[in-house]
Amino acid sequence: MNSGSKLTRFFKRFYLALILIFLYIPIIVLIIQSFNAGKSRAKWEGFSLHWYGELFRSASIMNSLEVTLLVAVLAMIVSTVLGTLAAIGIYSMKKRPQSLMMTLTNLPNTMPDIVTGISLMLLFIFTRVDRGFWTMLLAHITFDTPYVILSVMPKLKQMNKHTYEAALDLGATPSYALWHVLIPECKQGIITGAMLAFTLSLDDFTISYFTTSPLVQNLSTLIYSAARRGIEPTLNALSALMFVALLALLLVVNKRTSEN
Amino acid sequence: MVDNEHLIDLRHICKEYDGVTVLDDINLYIRKREFVTLLGPSGCGKTTTLRIIGGFETPTSGELYFEGKEISSVPPYKRRVNTVFQKYALFPHLNVHDNIAFGLKLKKMPKAEIDKRVDAMLDLVNLRGYGKRKVDALSGGQQQRVAIARSLVNEPEVLLLDEPLGALDLKLRKEMQLELKSMQQRLGITFLYVTHDQEEALTMSDTIVVMRDGHILQIGDPKHIYDEPANAFVADFIGESNILRGTMVHDELVSFAGHEFPCVDFGFGSSVPVDVVIRPEDIMLVGEDVGQITGIIQSVLFKGVHYEMMIDCGDFTFKVHSTTMQPQGSRVGLSIVPFNIHIMKPMELPAEEAKADAV
Repeated sequence: MNSGSKLTRFFKRFYLALILIFLYIPIIVLIIQSFNAGKSRAKWEGFSLHWYGELFRSASIMNSLEVTLLVAVLAMIVSTVLGTLAAIGIYSMKKRPQSLMMTLTNLPNTMPDIVTGISLMLLFIFTRVDRGFWTMLLAHITFDTPYVILSVMPKLKQMNKHTYEAALDLGATPSYALWHVLIPECKQGIITGAMLAFTLSLDDFTISYFTTSPLVQNLSTLIYSAARRGIEPTLNALSALMFVALLALLLVVNKRTSEN
Repeated sequence: MVDNEHLIDLRHICKEYDGVTVLDDINLYIRKREFVTLLGPSGCGKTTTLRIIGGFETPTSGELYFEGKEISSVPPYKRRVNTVFQKYALFPHLNVHDNIAFGLKLKKMPKAEIDKRVDAMLDLVNLRGYGKRKVDALSGGQQQRVAIARSLVNEPEVLLLDEPLGALDLKLRKEMQLELKSMQQRLGITFLYVTHDQEEALTMSDTIVVMRDGHILQIGDPKHIYDEPANAFVADFIGESNILRGTMVHDELVSFAGHEFPCVDFGFGSSVPVDVVIRPEDIMLVGEDVGQITGIIQSVLFKGVHYEMMIDCGDFTFKVHSTTMQPQGSRVGLSIVPFNIHIMKPMELPAEEAKADAV
């Protein structure tokens, strides 16, 4: 191997390292800061779990953590059920309506969150629904469902097209065939979709911001309004915890997708 | 072996998809313990016919009787028929045992009884000891056997098979043909079999139903269909044939390829156009001076059991199968015994086809 290709290789790695450094340095700084005993961001005053303690004592943060988790879990459950049934429905459609429905499913994913957020806000204002917990939940179900459909659909398409008929042929009623054949067949896709929905719901800011009231806040909207008053070090601790939790979830999701 | 009682009766069955007719007035009956094959090229409506009997399609019009009862709107899970699907459609999330037990579990059979019957089925299809395997881990032939066992364990009155051997290689297919046939005879179950492979149909069937473009062209036992094809299409589809335009001079004398041949057919009238079908193995190669007509060997192909020779007789090039070879370019005499000349009315082409041919 000549020196030229060695040099190329070096630059390739250097470039990659730069990208990763710029991506992760802020997060690493944030995590380090969360263990800083002092309040100053400029000075390291010793290692401490003080801000983690403060975090769990803060009523507003704990309250919004509860809202975030509750919304994420409920949105995950509802969108998984809706998305799975929708995928099965779309799968059994004829070719043309099926491709139309899949385009409609892909559309919200390509649309900027701000458009989804504002249009949902307008919808709630137009229908005179007071914004709060339930409107935020509805919004999250809305943007989660297409992702579930998109995770379940490939599993259905991989199946032999006569699998459902084979179940009926052996004496299964349509509902038995649904529960004992179709759903087990695409179980992997359903679980991946559910985890994706949970993750997306957990870290959403834009859509939540437009669809809730200042009285009901999830973590991201709380951090946003707190940041305007200046960052409390408790938020460093909170962000560090959220980062770790989401990272863990994403790793699991990625592992599952690569296994399939 | 075959009872006379009609088990299934199709009467005037028609099926349309978005205004396109795929089945046009199908009338057919299937007797108990009969092995019936629906044979035809792809798109002829054979699979649709099978799916109507299985309950996966509803006929646009017409009646379907099962043991004398009209069942065209009965859902598949209430019919006493089972289907072996194309490419098997096994349940990948279940192992071999649970795949076969699927239908029995639905009947709320006790577990011990289910296990006993599943094991008996595994024996029947030569897969003893495979119960715990995943179906994905099996070969194509083994998956095929599981699919057959999964259907047969329910003791159906009729087993519907939709090109079940299509995905297997030639040698395995031949073995499975014999196995299926012997299984059918041992168990005394009615088989309705769909295939486009004429050889498969001839090997296995009691009755062959030749279909084309949503119509039934001919129903008969394999020998009858082969020896007495109803028209030139059937003759061409079942085995190889020389099909010529000819003229019926009068009873028992037909003219084709510029010569008059004695034959055994009568009742067509005098000087009427007819289709003449002669099987390649029914033409005898004789000395140039004793043949009814003479020709020049154009090409010789070795086909394993026989040689296939194309012989140019001026008006027509005959395909001849013979175990003895004549060198290319030599002049030979052709002789056909009257019994082997099949005369049929010229085939009337359906309207669409006549158009298609004109293009």
